[in-house]
Amino acid sequence: MRRPSNLSLVDVILWALRVAIVVGVAVGTFATLSTTRLSGDQWRDLLIFGISQGSVYALIALGYTLVYGVLFMINFAHGDVFMFGGMTAFFVADYLSDNGILNSSPFIAVPLILLVGAISSTVVAILLERIAYRPLRRAPRLVPLITAIGASLFIANSVRGLYGDGVKAYPRIDLFQGTIDFFGIPILKSHATVIVAAVVMMAALYWFVEKTRTGRAMRAVSEDKDTAALMGIDVDRIISVTFAIGGALAGAAGVLYAIVYNQVIWSMGFLPGIKAFTAAVLGGIGNIFGAMLGGVALGILESLAPTLLLAGFGIPSPNQLRDVVAFSVLVLVLIFRPYGIFGRPESK
Amino acid sequence: MTTTDPLATQHVSDAEAGPLLVARDVTKTFEGLVANRDIDFEIPRHSIVSIIGPNGAGKTTFFNQLSGVYHPTSGSIEFEGIDISTLAPHVVASLGVARTYQNIRLFQNMTVLANVMVGRHVRMRGQWYQAIAGLAGIRDEEKVTKRRAFDLMELVGIPRASATELAKNLPYGDQRRLEIARALASDPKLLLLDEPTAGMNPGETRQMTDFIARLRRELQLTILLIEHDMKVVMGVSERITVLDYGEKIAEGTPAEIRANPRVIEAYLGKQATA
Amino acid sequence: MPRAFTLRDAISSGLITGTVMIYLVSVGIADAFAEREVVTGYLTLGRLMLALPPLAVGYMVAGRPLPNSRRVVQALVAGLAAGALFAAAFLAAVALSPGIRTVLNRISRALLDFVGFSDLGLEPATGAIFNLALATGLAVVAGLVRIAPAGVRRAIVGGAAALLVMSMVEPFLRPRLLQLDLPGVAQFVYDSHGLATASAALILAGGAFAAVAWPGMRRTARSRLAAADPGTRTMLRWAALLVAIAFLYTLPSISGSFLTQVLVLVGFYVLLGLGLNIVVGYAGLLDLGYVAFYAVGAYFTALITSPTSALGWGLSFWIALPVVILLSAIVGLFIGAPVLRLRGDYLAIVTLGFGEIARVLLGSDALKPWLGGPGGILSVPFMLGEGTYFLPIIGEVTGPAATYFPLLGFCILAAFIAYRLKYSRTGRAWNAMREDEDVAQATGISTVNYKLLAFAMGAAVGCVGGAIYATHLQGVVPGGFVLLVSITVLAVVVLGGMGSIPGVIVGAFALIGTPELLREFAEYKLLVYGAVLVAVMLLRPEGLIPDASRRGELEDARHEEGELHVEYDEISGDA
Repeated sequence: MRRPSNLSLVDVILWALRVAIVVGVAVGTFATLSTTRLSGDQWRDLLIFGISQGSVYALIALGYTLVYGVLFMINFAHGDVFMFGGMTAFFVADYLSDNGILNSSPFIAVPLILLVGAISSTVVAILLERIAYRPLRRAPRLVPLITAIGASLFIANSVRGLYGDGVKAYPRIDLFQGTIDFFGIPILKSHATVIVAAVVMMAALYWFVEKTRTGRAMRAVSEDKDTAALMGIDVDRIISVTFAIGGALAGAAGVLYAIVYNQVIWSMGFLPGIKAFTAAVLGGIGNIFGAMLGGVALGILESLAPTLLLAGFGIPSPNQLRDVVAFSVLVLVLIFRPYGIFGRPESK
Repeated sequence: MTTTDPLATQHVSDAEAGPLLVARDVTKTFEGLVANRDIDFEIPRHSIVSIIGPNGAGKTTFFNQLSGVYHPTSGSIEFEGIDISTLAPHVVASLGVARTYQNIRLFQNMTVLANVMVGRHVRMRGQWYQAIAGLAGIRDEEKVTKRRAFDLMELVGIPRASATELAKNLPYGDQRRLEIARALASDPKLLLLDEPTAGMNPGETRQMTDFIARLRRELQLTILLIEHDMKVVMGVSERITVLDYGEKIAEGTPAEIRANPRVIEAYLGKQATA
Repeated sequence: MPRAFTLRDAISSGLITGTVMIYLVSVGIADAFAEREVVTGYLTLGRLMLALPPLAVGYMVAGRPLPNSRRVVQALVAGLAAGALFAAAFLAAVALSPGIRTVLNRISRALLDFVGFSDLGLEPATGAIFNLALATGLAVVAGLVRIAPAGVRRAIVGGAAALLVMSMVEPFLRPRLLQLDLPGVAQFVYDSHGLATASAALILAGGAFAAVAWPGMRRTARSRLAAADPGTRTMLRWAALLVAIAFLYTLPSISGSFLTQVLVLVGFYVLLGLGLNIVVGYAGLLDLGYVAFYAVGAYFTALITSPTSALGWGLSFWIALPVVILLSAIVGLFIGAPVLRLRGDYLAIVTLGFGEIARVLLGSDALKPWLGGPGGILSVPFMLGEGTYFLPIIGEVTGPAATYFPLLGFCILAAFIAYRLKYSRTGRAWNAMREDEDVAQATGISTVNYKLLAFAMGAAVGCVGGAIYATHLQGVVPGGFVLLVSITVLAVVVLGGMGSIPGVIVGAFALIGTPELLREFAEYKLLVYGAVLVAVMLLRPEGLIPDASRRGELEDARHEEGELHVEYDEISGDA
């Protein structure tokens, strides 16, 4: 009788891939650094930009991870929830700017804008859950995913229909112009704001999940939905709350994103959405701390890698390939370590 | 087209050919939980053997290792002299091991006929390009397989007219029978039945017991059962192995097991159903 | 236990309907279609769009298990609620304009006039009330239709459908009629761009009659078919197939240039859909990066056949094709291998990642020397005789029809392959794998091999599509290979029915053909795709034409084991 070999073609390909990546990263980094085209300051600025970008990813990633934790589904439409917050908040920002309130009382105006963004995203997230996902709770996993894809298309294009095709330029917020001095390091105020706001929100979430009753209920539902129901937890309500929190964070992230990039557009949900999902997976999907860390890590990676790795290979216009960095991280993490940094492999 | 005749080995006596399956020191741990510990187990050819034990004793885990779904953490399992402890499930199936499941896992949205026909997958040779080309050999193979599927349906007692029903629409008893038909379709040497009488009333249980005996007789099968219903176990098994907390605590004929104090304690001590 | 349907349910259904109507107006769908005449002078498509929600809710709500009078009341209340909400929103919009334009920039004076029926000379306030009354009335009418006897219902629905279809096809039918030298007919049927009143009445009657006669005819045909012996039946099947193919063969000649172009576009998606159907429908692997295979096929073909490409070999398409197929199957294996063990939704995201990586790389400067960057690769020669050739019966073939015929041929080939695979050992293995992967493995199916096979086959089909695409456009540019293509193909397969071959064809015509024919739709294409995906998953996950594998097994079984007698009607379940 023939004994089949244990080493399959698949394993060979995977090992070749691992080797190629390690070698590629090493060579590229070495080549870049040895040709030293950037100054220390420039690296530092890239790093800070990466951190601020990563903070936005982290906030969005939290939404993915929270929803996955309770429903084990990928809310593909989450990126568009993020977009919706930024878009709705734009109208408020515009209005406040026309009134002059935006720049005369920024400490009232800005939180208000953030709040509007968060609330509008929350509404969309909850509607999404009730209309599109709840009826499909027991369906095979592909079904809610396809629904989520459809919902994503629908939301993005509805916004396009409602508010128009073009970019909407956020009004200038004087408070966020210029740089701030952080222990001798000049940081753009917009970046600093994003980082600080994100940290505050993440801390609030952490406190919420760890210390409050609802947070405990959320953790219970993500452990074992049926047992949680037997313990008297209203699973449907908790799931709605989870979507709401994820939505709120994403909406706030949408506003922060607009503060950095000064614009919003109906299509802005897709890329940050996928990247945030990558961050969530990187950190270990279902793990809150992982999502936060993964977001920042991805932001930094995305910011540094084109220059650090790719330029070393003499690749022209490496920044074009910045998205490739994020997608590659996604693909590689899912292939080699789908449970992420803080996750554990499912045993067989 | 040559087919290996599973009965061809008959001319060698069972004793000479040796046990069909030999498991030595099989241990299986899951992240600190020891599900099976140092189990030695042999299945003589053409015998009917049962594994019993209280809930959680590790019976299904052991079963899963015999069919290649799990791999033992340590120890060896040899089937027909071949070490199967590192083989993938589909390879183990092709060697002649077939199984049913405790909670019936049919291909719900496939027809009864398709379920049985797919059971024969390992014994068929049609490849995709042959299917596309529609060669006569493939058509014949499909016809023969279909005929065999109908024969198996008859053997297990599923009415012919149900052939085009979706598996999920069958009554419970027929679903159990279908699962057995699917397992038999591959002409296995070893048939693993996981609680075949679960959910059956005494009448059906009796039928199933007789049927298992018939299977061994008519198809020259070797059968391994997991069962909770003691009447079935005692009635049909030649040898019984008892597991408790992942370890083998007793082994012997039904009479020996009935009288074994450790077995009685394992069951009564945990108020398990008998 | 059936729950009681209170008026509250009707009201909430109505409010939802009202929201839908507000949505349709705000997003711009209603006024995009406002110019499109259905019956000239009486009904535009825009008005019809706004009429559909109240009609739908009235019809639906009247289907509840209640006595007839209560049902009508439910429809009335639902329509009232919808109309009230809509009218209120309308009045609010009027009150808030023009300020509201800064947020919802579609709410123009013209739009408000349209909604408020100012073409009938109504002031906004009256217009609001009119809308309310209209919504209520429509809902009640729909409710009455629902409780009417089946024959009446059929007649009305049939008549309305015929009316709609005849008005929709005006852009092609009228020019064709003129081309065929039948200006009289054209003028009778169509008055400017909509149906003329007289012909509308005729069509309504004709459609009603056909709808009523249909079930009877169908039943007769079915019973005749069932009574016939297997030999005749097989002959009839073949005959039907031949007729269909003959029809498709002559289609470009009777369709004119524009329609042929549409057919070509539909054809591409049919081909891609058949390929994705193998991956998603048979093997159950959700591939969101399918466009990558399309791109591989297109770009490799361009590289090999274009004299100005980086390779510059300038070989013939037919020599390049097998090479390209082989290459893409290998790519399929490479993409498939690492992702096989991933669970369904992760697999989808990874393939999405692959697709996106491919998209960026295609247009990048980094790969410009080989792939031509944003400009792509040009001067790809056409696959047959410089774009003009001769065919029996048809004669000379040029223009879009030149792509149509090879494309049709490949589609038929792909459908044939898919059909053969479905009812084979391989198809059964895929089905089993899709149903329960662990048990399939225990049954002896090597899931790794079968998943790879599915990926490779899907890749091969997709790549053939890409190859044809490259010669059709006579060049390739990266802009044609975006995620949206993957999602569109997925929508085609999902809508048609995952695993169903006729489903793919229907899905492609529905999703690709319709936006081309109804130009106004094109802007909202993606919106509709998204809505379709969600709606299908929620309402009818098996798609429009569910997988007929059961029927296949049935028929073979009937032929072999003569004793089995199962009626066709049992399978399809209708009367």
